[in-house]
Amino acid sequence: MPSAPDTLFHKVWKRHVVTVTEDATLLYIDRHLVHEVTSPQAFEGLRLSGRKVRRPELTFATLDHNVPTENQLDIREPMSKRQVEALRTNAKEFGVTLYDMGSGRQGIVHVIGPELGLTLPGLTIVCGDSHTSTHGAFGSLAFGIGTSEVEHVLATQTLWQGKTPKALGIEVKGKLPAGLEPKDIILAVIRAIGTGGATGHVLEYYGPAISAMSMEGRMTVCNMSIEAGARAGLIAPDDTTIQYITATKRPFAPTGAALESALADWKLLQTDDPSAFDRIVTIDASSLVPQVTWGTNPAMTVDVTGRIPEPDQVPFTSREDARRSLEYMGLTPGTPISEIPIDIVFIGSCTNGRIEDLRSAAQVFRGRKVAAGVRALIVPGSEPVREQAIAEGLDRVFTEAGAEWRQAGCSMCLAMNPDKLTPGQRSASTSNRNFEGRQGPGGRTHLVSAAMAAAAAVTGKFTDVRTLLSQGV
Amino acid sequence: MEAFLTYRGRAALLDWSDVNTDLIIPARYLKRIERTGYGPLLFADKRYVPGGAPDPDHPESHGELASDFPLNASANQDATILIVGRNFGCGSSREHAVWAVAQAGYRAVIAPGKDDGFADIFEGNALNNGLLPIELPEADWETIATAVRTGPTEITIDLLRKRVTLHGNSDIEFAFDVPEGNRERILKGLDAIAETLLNDHAITRYEQSAPVWAGLSV
Ligand code: SF4
Repeated sequence: MPSAPDTLFHKVWKRHVVTVTEDATLLYIDRHLVHEVTSPQAFEGLRLSGRKVRRPELTFATLDHNVPTENQLDIREPMSKRQVEALRTNAKEFGVTLYDMGSGRQGIVHVIGPELGLTLPGLTIVCGDSHTSTHGAFGSLAFGIGTSEVEHVLATQTLWQGKTPKALGIEVKGKLPAGLEPKDIILAVIRAIGTGGATGHVLEYYGPAISAMSMEGRMTVCNMSIEAGARAGLIAPDDTTIQYITATKRPFAPTGAALESALADWKLLQTDDPSAFDRIVTIDASSLVPQVTWGTNPAMTVDVTGRIPEPDQVPFTSREDARRSLEYMGLTPGTPISEIPIDIVFIGSCTNGRIEDLRSAAQVFRGRKVAAGVRALIVPGSEPVREQAIAEGLDRVFTEAGAEWRQAGCSMCLAMNPDKLTPGQRSASTSNRNFEGRQGPGGRTHLVSAAMAAAAAVTGKFTDVRTLLSQGV
Repeated sequence: MEAFLTYRGRAALLDWSDVNTDLIIPARYLKRIERTGYGPLLFADKRYVPGGAPDPDHPESHGELASDFPLNASANQDATILIVGRNFGCGSSREHAVWAVAQAGYRAVIAPGKDDGFADIFEGNALNNGLLPIELPEADWETIATAVRTGPTEITIDLLRKRVTLHGNSDIEFAFDVPEGNRERILKGLDAIAETLLNDHAITRYEQSAPVWAGLSV
């Protein structure tokens, strides 16, 4: 009798079951990524109970959230410095590899995992960070955890999971039009299902627009799965995945016989049939236009050609919550998106801080200038991304346009370093959260793609990047 | 973790949906390396007058409370049970959000919904800290919220029987669910890691069976 079709997610889940109880599953964790913000209390917990890190060779740390991007080595805030020092001390004491500033490998934790070859299909990957969902782009089951769980994984290399998540298929049909980016797809998905639309679910993205996408783009899509409330987001590995892992030298990627056996295994990592999903949502990429968020959560999104909605016309949101959002954002219903002036442009983060994002921004900046009164920060996601951009001459495109070319870190994605909005300032940002105060207290964030952020930088407002690209320079 | 059997306390209502963890505790307060001291930082950007939120370096000093923030109402000052809107705790995985809620004196958070009252990571973090995340069907939640809107309201949470009791002229009881393993641990105040290590042989067995390329053991 043929077995019932299964999903990629369940296949990966099942291979990691250590033991089960009545209503919980103990999962084995293959890679544990660590950064300075959510780990100090976990290491302290180990110390207090006299425990060790069970598998230090599967645990990797980096510094990203607090890192200044003008001069990484000059951390002026005492609290940031203390946190950075704490991770250095903990990594040394517990035998964990740390990719420190200047190591050539430092960067945002979700950017460096794939670069190092740590992120591979079929693995379980956790990190004390909700955007761990990024790594699902390789067909791994990757999710964010809290600090108590960080301590639990450090001590046991396992994690208890309650109810098994459901599998939600996100089919992305059609071909993404020129000028649009994977960011527009994921913003459209969140807009369609809401910020709580995938709570308790793992998303799997598939369909022609996903198959045609680069690994960088797939990471952007999986990255924001959490913004729909999903536990994780995955994409089945294919030739694009294998090419990414094997075509460049990645220190932890398998080679030789190990690679051969891995490749045979990765072929099995597919959803057998869409009927195996608990639910399916379909999006047509070919009908999308660039997306811009207007409110204080990532589902509050409209087309760049659209207008600010009336408070009683905001999906998934009560009139009162929508009214508070509009007030915080300083926006009036009916205003065309294209008439909203901006102060700051931030291009970077684990959503859009990879080389392709910088290339697409550079395409818009080339031969243009940052608009008067606007500040544009370009922050590569990692030291290797920065090196690559310099090798391609992108840094000069940015600086000649009048943008600031920075060092690697999380930067203005969450404003734990000196890069912050001041109250009332409005940004076009390639990051993933437009929450109140996310980029600095009182700051107003609009999420967009890298190309749209660049278009906002050179025009001083939200501009449909397709009009700039068709003009050429 | 403090053991939790039954608990009776005053309820406060924050009737906003999609409250994210950046709002519960802004990122600039995540620079602390301690597990304590987060109580005064809860909802810092809403709770204090503009510019009055505590300085990350000196969290003990802060400005005046904002008069328009619901939890600042004098009736809510000694509340220990927090009634919130749907999808509470979405966004960042920061456990600091749970520490802030717990250290501000709350023992339980009650949200409406079925599996979508709380964001997944927040819910897990809360359970790991003995801050009880309770989901109630919309109608039950509304009954409680209405009572709180009307006047001072006390609630009892019985974790042994998995019941919430709304005290009033006559008491009303609602059932809730919590994963058995978590319930057990919270009831007894157990150390999750020590429990897991009882499965050490199973973990070791799993490790021995992992493919070479997955384990980095070469
Ligand atoms: S870039 Fe932003 S979202 Fe990504 S890990 Fe850093 S702070 Fe978190």
